[in-house]
Amino acid sequence: MLELVLCQAGYPEPMASVTLAHYLVLSAAMFVLGLVGFITRRNLIIMFLCTELMFQAAGLALIAFSRYHLNLDGQTFVIFVLTVAAAEAAMALALVVLLFRRRESLSSEEWAELKG
Amino acid sequence: MNELAQPILMYVACALGAIGVAMALPRHKPGIALLGGLVAAAGFGAGVLALFLAAEDSSLLPSLFFYVFALLALGAGLRMVTHPRPVYSALYFILTIIASSGLYVLLSAEFMAFALIIIYAGAIIITYLFVIMLATQAPTEEDEESLYTYDTEAREPIWSSAVGFIILAALTAMLFRGAGELPVPSGSGDSQAILAQMPGKVERELRRSGVIGKEASVATEHGVAVIEQGGVRLGDGSVVPLPVGLEPSNVEELGFNLLAEHPMTIEIAGVILLMAMLGAVVLARRQVDLEEAAKARQARTLGQEVGDA
Repeated sequence: MLELVLCQAGYPEPMASVTLAHYLVLSAAMFVLGLVGFITRRNLIIMFLCTELMFQAAGLALIAFSRYHLNLDGQTFVIFVLTVAAAEAAMALALVVLLFRRRESLSSEEWAELKG
Repeated sequence: MNELAQPILMYVACALGAIGVAMALPRHKPGIALLGGLVAAAGFGAGVLALFLAAEDSSLLPSLFFYVFALLALGAGLRMVTHPRPVYSALYFILTIIASSGLYVLLSAEFMAFALIIIYAGAIIITYLFVIMLATQAPTEEDEESLYTYDTEAREPIWSSAVGFIILAALTAMLFRGAGELPVPSGSGDSQAILAQMPGKVERELRRSGVIGKEASVATEHGVAVIEQGGVRLGDGSVVPLPVGLEPSNVEELGFNLLAEHPMTIEIAGVILLMAMLGAVVLARRQVDLEEAAKARQARTLGQEVGDA
Protein backbone atom coordinates (compact mmCIF):
# COMPACT_ATOMS: atom_id res chain seq x y z
CA MET A 1 0.00 0.00 0.00
CA LEU A 2 2.86 2.35 0.77
CA GLU A 3 4.42 1.92 -2.65
CA LEU A 4 5.76 5.26 -3.87
CA VAL A 5 5.11 6.63 -7.33
CA LEU A 6 7.77 8.59 -9.15
CA CYS A 7 5.54 10.78 -11.31
CA GLN A 8 2.05 12.13 -10.87
CA ALA A 9 -0.55 12.66 -13.58
CA GLY A 10 0.76 14.69 -16.55
CA TYR A 11 -0.69 18.09 -17.27
CA PRO A 12 -3.93 17.65 -19.20
CA GLU A 13 -4.88 14.59 -17.15
CA PRO A 14 -6.95 15.31 -14.06
CA MET A 15 -5.21 15.11 -10.69
CA ALA A 16 -6.56 12.99 -7.83
CA SER A 17 -8.25 14.90 -5.01
CA VAL A 18 -5.95 13.12 -2.52
CA THR A 19 -2.98 14.74 -4.26
CA LEU A 20 -4.73 18.09 -4.00
CA ALA A 21 -5.21 17.45 -0.26
CA HIS A 22 -1.45 16.80 0.07
CA TYR A 23 -0.62 20.18 -1.44
CA LEU A 24 -3.27 21.95 0.63
CA VAL A 25 -1.98 20.42 3.88
CA LEU A 26 1.56 21.50 2.97
CA SER A 27 0.30 24.98 2.16
CA ALA A 28 -1.57 25.18 5.48
CA ALA A 29 1.54 24.03 7.37
CA MET A 30 3.68 26.68 5.66
CA PHE A 31 1.09 29.33 6.41
CA VAL A 32 0.94 28.38 10.09
CA LEU A 33 4.74 28.38 10.30
CA GLY A 34 4.77 31.92 8.92
CA LEU A 35 1.97 32.93 11.30
CA VAL A 36 3.79 31.55 14.36
CA GLY A 37 6.95 33.32 13.25
CA PHE A 38 5.10 36.57 12.75
CA ILE A 39 3.65 36.41 16.25
CA THR A 40 6.75 35.25 18.12
CA ARG A 41 9.69 37.00 16.50
CA ARG A 42 10.47 40.54 17.62
CA ASN A 43 12.75 41.60 14.78
CA LEU A 44 10.82 43.75 12.29
CA ILE A 45 12.66 42.32 9.26
CA ILE A 46 12.01 38.71 10.27
CA MET A 47 8.36 39.55 10.86
CA PHE A 48 8.11 40.75 7.25
CA LEU A 49 9.98 37.66 6.03
CA CYS A 50 7.33 35.58 7.80
CA THR A 51 4.58 37.40 5.89
CA GLU A 52 6.44 36.43 2.70
CA LEU A 53 6.28 32.81 3.86
CA MET A 54 2.52 33.20 4.24
CA PHE A 55 2.30 34.65 0.71
CA GLN A 56 4.22 31.61 -0.50
CA ALA A 57 1.75 29.27 1.17
CA ALA A 58 -1.21 31.07 -0.41
CA GLY A 59 0.46 30.90 -3.83
CA LEU A 60 1.04 27.17 -3.46
CA ALA A 61 -2.64 26.60 -2.63
CA LEU A 62 -3.68 28.70 -5.66
CA ILE A 63 -1.41 26.78 -8.03
CA ALA A 64 -2.56 23.42 -6.63
CA PHE A 65 -6.22 24.37 -7.18
CA SER A 66 -5.37 25.69 -10.65
CA ARG A 67 -3.80 22.31 -11.49
CA TYR A 68 -6.73 20.38 -10.02
CA HIS A 69 -9.37 22.29 -11.96
CA LEU A 70 -7.16 22.59 -15.09
CA ASN A 71 -7.91 26.28 -15.04
CA LEU A 72 -5.10 28.80 -15.40
CA ASP A 73 -6.86 31.61 -13.52
CA GLY A 74 -5.07 30.42 -10.38
CA GLN A 75 -1.64 30.92 -11.95
CA THR A 76 -2.67 34.36 -13.20
CA PHE A 77 -3.63 35.23 -9.66
CA VAL A 78 -0.26 34.05 -8.36
CA ILE A 79 1.37 36.62 -10.66
CA PHE A 80 -0.80 39.16 -8.87
CA VAL A 81 0.30 37.80 -5.48
CA LEU A 82 3.94 38.14 -6.54
CA THR A 83 3.29 41.76 -7.54
CA VAL A 84 1.73 42.53 -4.17
CA ALA A 85 4.61 40.78 -2.39
CA ALA A 86 7.16 42.86 -4.29
CA ALA A 87 5.29 46.09 -3.59
CA GLU A 88 4.93 45.14 0.08
CA ALA A 89 8.63 44.36 0.36
CA ALA A 90 9.63 47.71 -1.16
CA MET A 91 7.32 49.77 1.06
CA ALA A 92 7.80 47.78 4.27
CA LEU A 93 11.57 47.75 3.99
CA ALA A 94 11.69 51.50 3.33
CA LEU A 95 9.63 51.96 6.49
CA VAL A 96 11.87 49.59 8.46
CA VAL A 97 14.95 51.54 7.44
CA LEU A 98 13.27 54.78 8.51
CA LEU A 99 12.25 53.29 11.86
CA PHE A 100 15.76 51.92 12.39
CA ARG A 101 17.29 55.36 11.77
CA ARG A 102 15.02 56.81 14.46
CA ARG A 103 15.67 54.36 17.29
CA GLU A 104 18.80 52.45 16.22
CA SER A 105 16.96 49.18 16.89
CA LEU A 106 14.87 46.69 14.91
CA SER A 107 12.88 45.52 17.91
CA SER A 108 9.14 45.73 17.35
CA GLU A 109 8.67 46.54 21.03
CA GLU A 110 10.49 49.84 20.56
CA TRP A 111 7.40 50.98 18.70
CA ALA A 112 4.80 49.60 21.09
CA GLU A 113 3.21 53.05 21.41
CA LEU A 114 2.05 52.77 17.78
CA LYS A 115 -0.59 50.23 18.80
CA GLY A 116 -2.85 53.16 19.66
CA MET B 1 -9.70 1.59 10.79
CA ASN B 2 -8.09 4.10 8.48
CA GLU B 3 -10.97 6.51 8.95
CA LEU B 4 -10.20 6.56 12.68
CA ALA B 5 -6.38 6.41 12.51
CA GLN B 6 -5.92 9.08 9.87
CA PRO B 7 -7.38 12.11 11.71
CA ILE B 8 -5.80 11.03 15.01
CA LEU B 9 -2.41 10.74 13.30
CA MET B 10 -2.91 14.17 11.75
CA TYR B 11 -3.65 15.68 15.18
CA VAL B 12 -0.57 13.93 16.59
CA ALA B 13 1.45 15.45 13.75
CA CYS B 14 0.08 18.92 14.57
CA ALA B 15 0.87 18.47 18.28
CA LEU B 16 4.41 17.27 17.54
CA GLY B 17 4.88 20.20 15.15
CA ALA B 18 3.68 22.65 17.80
CA ILE B 19 6.03 21.20 20.45
CA GLY B 20 8.91 21.16 18.00
CA VAL B 21 8.40 24.76 16.85
CA ALA B 22 7.96 25.98 20.43
CA MET B 23 11.23 24.28 21.41
CA ALA B 24 13.11 25.46 18.34
CA LEU B 25 12.19 29.13 18.74
CA PRO B 26 15.10 31.19 20.12
CA ARG B 27 15.19 31.61 23.90
CA HIS B 28 17.61 32.13 26.81
CA LYS B 29 18.69 28.56 27.32
CA PRO B 30 20.52 27.13 24.30
CA GLY B 31 20.54 23.44 23.52
CA ILE B 32 16.91 22.48 23.01
CA ALA B 33 16.61 24.02 19.54
CA LEU B 34 18.08 20.92 17.89
CA LEU B 35 15.77 18.69 19.90
CA GLY B 36 12.87 20.88 18.80
CA GLY B 37 13.89 20.39 15.18
CA LEU B 38 13.89 16.62 15.68
CA VAL B 39 10.43 16.72 17.28
CA ALA B 40 9.16 18.84 14.38
CA ALA B 41 10.68 16.34 11.92
CA ALA B 42 8.83 13.56 13.76
CA GLY B 43 5.67 15.64 13.35
CA PHE B 44 6.36 15.89 9.60
CA GLY B 45 6.76 12.10 9.47
CA ALA B 46 3.46 11.59 11.29
CA GLY B 47 1.78 14.02 8.88
CA VAL B 48 3.13 12.13 5.86
CA LEU B 49 1.90 8.85 7.35
CA ALA B 50 -1.55 10.39 7.89
CA LEU B 51 -1.55 11.53 4.25
CA PHE B 52 -0.60 8.00 3.16
CA LEU B 53 -3.54 6.60 5.11
CA ALA B 54 -5.86 9.11 3.43
CA ALA B 55 -5.30 7.55 -0.02
CA GLU B 56 -7.24 4.38 -0.75
CA ASP B 57 -4.95 3.62 -3.68
CA SER B 58 -1.20 4.23 -3.67
CA SER B 59 -1.28 5.17 -7.36
CA LEU B 60 -3.26 8.29 -6.44
CA LEU B 61 -0.47 9.61 -4.23
CA PRO B 62 1.71 12.46 -5.51
CA SER B 63 5.20 11.62 -6.65
CA LEU B 64 8.13 10.96 -4.34
CA PHE B 65 9.52 14.40 -5.23
CA PHE B 66 6.53 16.00 -3.51
CA TYR B 67 7.68 14.63 -0.16
CA VAL B 68 11.28 15.70 -0.78
CA PHE B 69 10.27 19.25 -1.68
CA ALA B 70 7.73 19.40 1.14
CA LEU B 71 10.37 18.36 3.68
CA LEU B 72 12.79 20.94 2.24
CA ALA B 73 10.19 23.72 2.27
CA LEU B 74 9.00 23.05 5.81
CA GLY B 75 12.48 22.39 7.21
CA ALA B 76 13.90 25.56 5.68
CA GLY B 77 10.78 27.46 6.77
CA LEU B 78 11.23 26.24 10.36
CA ARG B 79 14.89 27.25 10.34
CA MET B 80 13.94 30.62 8.86
CA VAL B 81 11.38 31.29 11.57
CA THR B 82 13.67 30.16 14.38
CA HIS B 83 17.13 31.37 13.34
CA PRO B 84 18.41 34.18 15.61
CA ARG B 85 20.37 35.84 12.78
CA PRO B 86 18.28 37.72 10.20
CA VAL B 87 20.73 37.07 7.33
CA TYR B 88 20.49 33.32 7.82
CA SER B 89 16.71 33.63 8.01
CA ALA B 90 16.68 35.32 4.60
CA LEU B 91 18.98 32.66 3.13
CA TYR B 92 16.82 29.83 4.50
CA PHE B 93 13.84 31.57 2.94
CA ILE B 94 15.57 31.28 -0.44
CA LEU B 95 15.73 27.51 0.18
CA THR B 96 11.98 27.54 0.87
CA ILE B 97 11.45 29.42 -2.39
CA ILE B 98 13.47 26.89 -4.37
CA ALA B 99 11.56 24.01 -2.80
CA SER B 100 8.21 25.60 -3.59
CA SER B 101 9.25 26.31 -7.16
CA GLY B 102 10.03 22.59 -7.39
CA LEU B 103 6.48 21.94 -6.22
CA TYR B 104 5.21 24.36 -8.90
CA VAL B 105 7.04 22.31 -11.55
CA LEU B 106 5.36 19.18 -10.19
CA LEU B 107 2.05 21.02 -10.60
CA SER B 108 2.89 21.82 -14.27
CA ALA B 109 3.25 25.54 -13.61
CA GLU B 110 6.68 25.94 -15.21
CA PHE B 111 6.40 29.64 -15.91
CA MET B 112 5.41 30.45 -12.34
CA ALA B 113 8.23 28.25 -11.01
CA PHE B 114 10.86 30.27 -12.86
CA ALA B 115 9.12 33.57 -12.18
CA LEU B 116 9.11 32.68 -8.48
CA ILE B 117 12.86 32.07 -8.40
CA ILE B 118 13.62 35.20 -10.45
CA ILE B 119 11.32 37.52 -8.51
CA TYR B 120 11.72 36.15 -4.99
CA ALA B 121 15.24 34.81 -4.82
CA GLY B 122 16.57 37.32 -7.33
CA ALA B 123 14.85 40.53 -6.29
CA ILE B 124 12.86 40.47 -3.08
CA ILE B 125 15.31 38.54 -0.90
CA ILE B 126 18.21 40.63 -2.20
CA THR B 127 16.28 43.72 -1.07
CA TYR B 128 15.81 42.10 2.33
CA LEU B 129 19.51 41.30 2.56
CA PHE B 130 20.44 44.88 1.71
CA VAL B 131 18.08 46.22 4.37
CA ILE B 132 19.44 43.74 6.93
CA MET B 133 22.92 45.04 6.15
CA LEU B 134 21.77 48.67 6.33
CA ALA B 135 19.84 48.23 9.56
CA THR B 136 22.44 46.42 11.63
CA GLN B 137 24.92 48.12 13.90
CA ALA B 138 28.54 47.20 13.27
CA PRO B 139 29.72 44.63 15.82
CA THR B 140 32.04 46.00 18.45
CA GLU B 141 35.62 44.76 18.48
CA GLU B 142 35.47 42.75 21.71
CA ASP B 143 32.12 41.09 20.91
CA GLU B 144 31.92 40.09 17.26
CA GLU B 145 29.29 37.39 17.81
CA SER B 146 26.88 39.80 19.44
CA LEU B 147 23.19 39.06 19.02
CA TYR B 148 20.42 41.40 20.05
CA THR B 149 18.06 40.28 22.77
CA TYR B 150 15.11 40.88 20.46
CA ASP B 151 16.61 38.28 18.14
CA THR B 152 17.51 35.71 20.77
CA GLU B 153 14.27 35.75 22.75
CA ALA B 154 10.99 34.87 21.13
CA ARG B 155 7.80 36.43 22.45
CA GLU B 156 5.40 33.86 23.97
CA PRO B 157 6.73 30.85 21.99
CA ILE B 158 4.55 28.23 23.72
CA TRP B 159 1.21 29.97 23.45
CA SER B 160 1.63 31.15 19.89
CA SER B 161 2.80 27.71 18.69
CA ALA B 162 -0.16 26.11 20.43
CA VAL B 163 -2.63 28.55 18.87
CA GLY B 164 -0.99 28.30 15.42
CA PHE B 165 -1.06 24.54 15.34
CA ILE B 166 -4.63 24.39 16.65
CA ILE B 167 -5.48 26.45 13.56
CA LEU B 168 -3.48 23.96 11.47
CA ALA B 169 -5.35 20.99 13.00
CA ALA B 170 -8.70 22.62 12.24
CA LEU B 171 -7.59 23.50 8.70
CA THR B 172 -6.35 19.99 7.88
CA ALA B 173 -9.50 18.40 9.28
CA MET B 174 -11.62 20.64 7.07
CA LEU B 175 -9.32 20.19 4.05
CA PHE B 176 -9.72 16.42 4.01
CA ARG B 177 -13.46 16.67 4.24
CA GLY B 178 -13.60 19.41 1.58
CA ALA B 179 -11.13 17.95 -0.91
CA GLY B 180 -13.03 14.67 -0.97
CA GLU B 181 -16.25 16.45 -1.88
CA LEU B 182 -14.84 18.49 -4.76
CA PRO B 183 -16.25 17.61 -8.16
CA VAL B 184 -13.87 15.57 -10.30
CA PRO B 185 -12.55 17.93 -13.00
CA SER B 186 -13.60 17.10 -16.53
CA GLY B 187 -10.68 16.44 -18.87
CA SER B 188 -8.43 19.06 -20.38
CA GLY B 189 -9.34 22.67 -20.89
CA ASP B 190 -10.06 24.41 -24.19
CA SER B 191 -6.67 23.82 -25.78
CA GLN B 192 -8.08 23.98 -29.36
CA ALA B 193 -9.23 27.57 -28.90
CA ILE B 194 -5.72 28.53 -27.77
CA LEU B 195 -4.13 26.66 -30.68
CA ALA B 196 -6.43 28.54 -33.08
CA GLN B 197 -4.90 31.76 -31.77
CA MET B 198 -1.48 30.55 -32.87
CA PRO B 199 -1.73 29.71 -36.61
CA GLY B 200 2.04 30.01 -36.99
CA LYS B 201 2.71 27.28 -34.44
CA VAL B 202 0.09 24.98 -36.00
CA GLU B 203 1.52 25.61 -39.47
CA ARG B 204 5.07 24.88 -38.34
CA GLU B 205 3.97 21.66 -36.64
CA LEU B 206 2.01 20.56 -39.74
CA ARG B 207 5.02 21.24 -41.99
CA ARG B 208 7.36 19.41 -39.64
CA SER B 209 5.16 16.31 -39.61
CA GLY B 210 4.90 16.47 -43.41
CA VAL B 211 1.11 16.81 -43.53
CA ILE B 212 1.31 19.95 -45.69
CA GLY B 213 3.97 21.06 -48.17
CA LYS B 214 6.11 24.19 -48.15
CA GLU B 215 3.70 26.30 -50.22
CA ALA B 216 0.49 25.40 -48.34
CA SER B 217 -0.54 27.61 -45.42
CA VAL B 218 -3.15 27.71 -42.66
CA ALA B 219 -6.18 29.91 -43.40
CA THR B 220 -6.70 32.72 -40.91
CA GLU B 221 -9.55 35.10 -40.18
CA HIS B 222 -8.37 38.20 -38.30
CA GLY B 223 -5.20 36.36 -37.36
CA VAL B 224 -7.05 33.35 -35.91
CA ALA B 225 -6.83 29.92 -37.54
CA VAL B 226 -10.17 28.42 -38.58
CA ILE B 227 -10.88 25.18 -36.74
CA GLU B 228 -13.74 23.11 -38.17
CA GLN B 229 -14.74 19.47 -37.84
CA GLY B 230 -11.80 18.75 -35.54
CA GLY B 231 -9.29 19.96 -38.12
CA VAL B 232 -7.73 23.15 -39.31
CA ARG B 233 -8.65 24.78 -42.64
CA LEU B 234 -5.85 25.44 -45.10
CA GLY B 235 -5.49 28.32 -47.55
CA ASP B 236 -6.95 26.27 -50.45
CA GLY B 237 -10.09 25.40 -48.47
CA SER B 238 -9.21 21.80 -47.57
CA VAL B 239 -9.29 20.67 -43.93
CA VAL B 240 -6.49 18.66 -42.30
CA PRO B 241 -6.67 17.21 -38.78
CA LEU B 242 -4.68 18.93 -36.07
CA PRO B 243 -1.35 17.24 -35.33
CA VAL B 244 -1.65 14.62 -32.60
CA GLY B 245 -0.16 15.66 -29.28
CA LEU B 246 0.09 19.32 -30.23
CA GLU B 247 -0.69 21.16 -27.01
CA PRO B 248 -0.09 24.80 -26.12
CA SER B 249 2.72 25.10 -23.60
CA ASN B 250 2.21 26.43 -20.10
CA VAL B 251 3.70 29.81 -21.02
CA GLU B 252 1.40 30.16 -24.06
CA GLU B 253 -1.69 29.17 -22.12
CA LEU B 254 -0.80 31.47 -19.24
CA GLY B 255 -0.10 34.33 -21.63
CA PHE B 256 -3.47 33.98 -23.31
CA ASN B 257 -5.20 33.63 -19.96
CA LEU B 258 -3.47 36.73 -18.61
CA LEU B 259 -3.85 39.00 -21.62
CA ALA B 260 -7.14 37.82 -23.13
CA GLU B 261 -9.20 37.01 -20.05
CA HIS B 262 -7.70 39.18 -17.30
CA PRO B 263 -6.25 42.29 -18.96
CA MET B 264 -7.34 44.33 -15.94
CA THR B 265 -5.01 42.30 -13.71
CA ILE B 266 -1.98 43.68 -15.52
CA GLU B 267 -3.28 47.23 -15.23
CA ILE B 268 -3.92 46.87 -11.50
CA ALA B 269 -0.56 45.18 -10.97
CA GLY B 270 1.14 48.02 -12.80
CA VAL B 271 -0.65 50.64 -10.68
CA ILE B 272 0.29 48.77 -7.48
CA LEU B 273 3.95 48.61 -8.51
CA LEU B 274 3.91 52.30 -9.47
CA MET B 275 2.39 53.23 -6.11
CA ALA B 276 4.99 51.12 -4.28
CA MET B 277 7.76 52.79 -6.25
CA LEU B 278 6.42 56.27 -5.54
CA GLY B 279 5.95 55.41 -1.88
CA ALA B 280 9.49 54.06 -1.58
CA VAL B 281 10.84 57.19 -3.29
CA VAL B 282 8.88 59.46 -0.95
CA LEU B 283 10.11 57.57 2.12
CA ALA B 284 13.68 57.55 0.85
CA ARG B 285 13.56 61.31 0.11
CA ARG B 286 12.47 62.03 3.66
CA GLN B 287 15.54 60.13 4.82
CA VAL B 288 17.83 62.24 2.59
CA ASP B 289 16.31 65.42 4.08
CA LEU B 290 17.01 64.16 7.58
CA GLU B 291 20.57 63.37 6.64
CA GLU B 292 21.01 66.84 5.15
CA ALA B 293 19.75 68.38 8.40
CA ALA B 294 22.08 66.20 10.43
CA LYS B 295 24.96 67.13 8.16
CA ALA B 296 24.16 70.85 8.56
CA ARG B 297 24.05 70.45 12.34
CA GLN B 298 27.36 68.61 12.32
CA ALA B 299 28.92 71.30 10.09
CA ARG B 300 27.67 73.99 12.50
CA THR B 301 29.13 72.26 15.60
CA LEU B 302 32.41 71.62 13.77
CA GLY B 303 32.58 75.29 12.76
CA GLN B 304 31.95 76.29 16.39
CA GLU B 305 34.73 74.00 17.59
CA VAL B 306 37.10 75.41 15.02
CA GLY B 307 36.04 78.93 16.02
CA ASP B 308 36.59 78.16 19.73
CA ALA B 309 40.06 76.85 19.01
